[in-house]
Amino acid sequence: MLPTLKGDLVITCSRCGKENQDHYKFCLGCGNEIKPAPKAATREPAPLETARTMLPPERKPNAGSLGNEPTPLPTLSPPSAGKQKGGIPWNDSPKMPITPTHNGGGVASGTLGSVTPPPVTSSPGASTDVGTWAASRPTSTPAAQPVLQAPTAPAVEGTVCPSCGRMVAPGFAFCGACGTRMAAAGAAAAAAPRTMYMAAPTATPAPRGRIILIRPDGSEGGAHPLLDGENLVGRSQGSLFEGDLYLSPRHAEFQLGPQGLVVKDLRSLNGIFVKISGEEPLESGDVIRIGQELLRFEIIAPPTPLEDGTEVAGTPNPGFWGRLSVVVGRDVDGSAFPLFGDAIVMGRERGDILFPEDGYVSGTHARISLRDGRVYLSDVGSSNGTFLRVRGERPLPSGSFILMGQQLFRAEYK
Amino acid sequence: MNGAKTCPTCGNEVAPDFKFCGKCGSRVDGTATSSASTPAAKTMYFGTNQVPGRAKLIVIKGEGMDGLSYQLAGNEHIAGRTEGAILFPDDPLLSPRHANFIYREHKLFVRDEGSVNGIFMRIKVPTSIPSGGLFLIGEQLLQVEPSPPDLGPQPDAEGTYFYASPKRPSKMKLVQRLRGGEVGMIYRARGDTITIGREGNDVNFLDDPFISGRHAQLAIAADGQMTLTDLGSKNGTFIRLGDETQLAHGDYVFLGQQLLRVEIA
Repeated sequence: MLPTLKGDLVITCSRCGKENQDHYKFCLGCGNEIKPAPKAATREPAPLETARTMLPPERKPNAGSLGNEPTPLPTLSPPSAGKQKGGIPWNDSPKMPITPTHNGGGVASGTLGSVTPPPVTSSPGASTDVGTWAASRPTSTPAAQPVLQAPTAPAVEGTVCPSCGRMVAPGFAFCGACGTRMAAAGAAAAAAPRTMYMAAPTATPAPRGRIILIRPDGSEGGAHPLLDGENLVGRSQGSLFEGDLYLSPRHAEFQLGPQGLVVKDLRSLNGIFVKISGEEPLESGDVIRIGQELLRFEIIAPPTPLEDGTEVAGTPNPGFWGRLSVVVGRDVDGSAFPLFGDAIVMGRERGDILFPEDGYVSGTHARISLRDGRVYLSDVGSSNGTFLRVRGERPLPSGSFILMGQQLFRAEYK
Repeated sequence: MNGAKTCPTCGNEVAPDFKFCGKCGSRVDGTATSSASTPAAKTMYFGTNQVPGRAKLIVIKGEGMDGLSYQLAGNEHIAGRTEGAILFPDDPLLSPRHANFIYREHKLFVRDEGSVNGIFMRIKVPTSIPSGGLFLIGEQLLQVEPSPPDLGPQPDAEGTYFYASPKRPSKMKLVQRLRGGEVGMIYRARGDTITIGREGNDVNFLDDPFISGRHAQLAIAADGQMTLTDLGSKNGTFIRLGDETQLAHGDYVFLGQQLLRVEIA
């Protein structure tokens, strides 16, 4: 389904020589952080991610496990190899120079002084870095993967990474997705994370689901329980959401029922965005988020004469069937791009519509296509994913990534 | 113009040292063309010409009516799709009653009769264009809008701030209006000007055969005043008229799909 932009690229670990898929952040063999392969450039400059605690230069390979790699993230667009960490796309903190590199391997740049959130009292962890979280877990979690009681690692297939929850093949010393060292994790994991909810089983029935904050570094930053029935989320609801002035006081309602989870927008100002997987039909008026860009899709209707028979004059339509407008303010549009032909590709460097200044947009990022009179949105292997604003309400499969306010979350339920 | 006089008969501009209007031959002696000469001029006007109008409109490009000319012999001349003396029944871009060509004080004016699509006149000099002003180059109908002032983040009634794409300040934007009224492309200026043409400009319409390589330029001044300039294009730059506008010999006017040339004998 996803185009083949990714997957064919292989990055060889500079430390142990193992070949890794280019979207892996850490070498599957030794846990070394993988840098995007510097193509023509001689060498990559010193890493920008000063904030990151580099993993110890570890260890030799469980090489030979070539055929044993974890299944590639299914629908998720893989994270880029060298995605930088400190970048907070929807916050104003980082001020880093843009260093565009090849597709997906880019070092996410700072925010160009852009979205300057007002006097937000944002906690440091309250911002979102799409750069890293994509790695944390595939959207479609295999059933085998326990959600709440994670540490009960399936014996045979591997271990669940205590940090990001991904399956790690047996014998791997590090989680291929987030780089957490499995050896150490084994013990720690059993004790610490994710036991919170289960810890008090006697008191109230354990919540069946939760909304997990994904921190800028990709780690999980707390969870909001989802009980059966209606769960209200907003700036004035729940500690996870307090202080985010981009959330309406009553922002969203999560309805957890036998059929699953449904999120409903309570006419919030900024809406709820869901990371799409696969092709998503678009309707006129839909709002899309890629990188830091807020975009509105509209269909261009064929001209119809007015009542007195006059037609409104204008440029003869050369075949535009839609339009993508950059939303730069409330009821204020910036640039607008016509959509024509079979498909239009958006990206930072390649494609028909370019956002060269947005370091959170991948080289090629998303595509809007027209087929049989219907318009579809799909991600084309971006690092940070393509998000669609929920119109009204929408079912959320467990594992869905959602953007609300300035923060990114993952919704999980049994 | 320095010292130029206006011919009291036909409205033509006459060089200051000329005694007669080069266009209609009326005497333009003396310095005062105003109160004293007005009665005389009027007398001459009706005396020398039995018909009050001396202008004609020639269809340069239209729906198979090229070359046709309309004598403007009355005082008012309605043009439209179904109404008036100047009829273009097959042009759907014309309102039933579209424009009026009027003589006033011996000068020819054109007035929009509340048409949907308006009247466009070819500009000869850099011309001021208002906010939302429309202009035509080649087949492109374009509109210019200054950017609204940036008020900074403004919370809504509940204290929530609006998330928007990163701000990339721009002073004005160019909007392409498609037939039917839809917006096609919107281009935001990077500086104080936007150049438009077929290639090598800020905005290029490669497929529009009626647009010159470098065709027109928009500029915005520090005070927000916007100016439209034709860069010597072949087919011209046309600006939509707001108020009643005087026409001179050689002016070009677009009504719907009809391109008319004004000839004042």
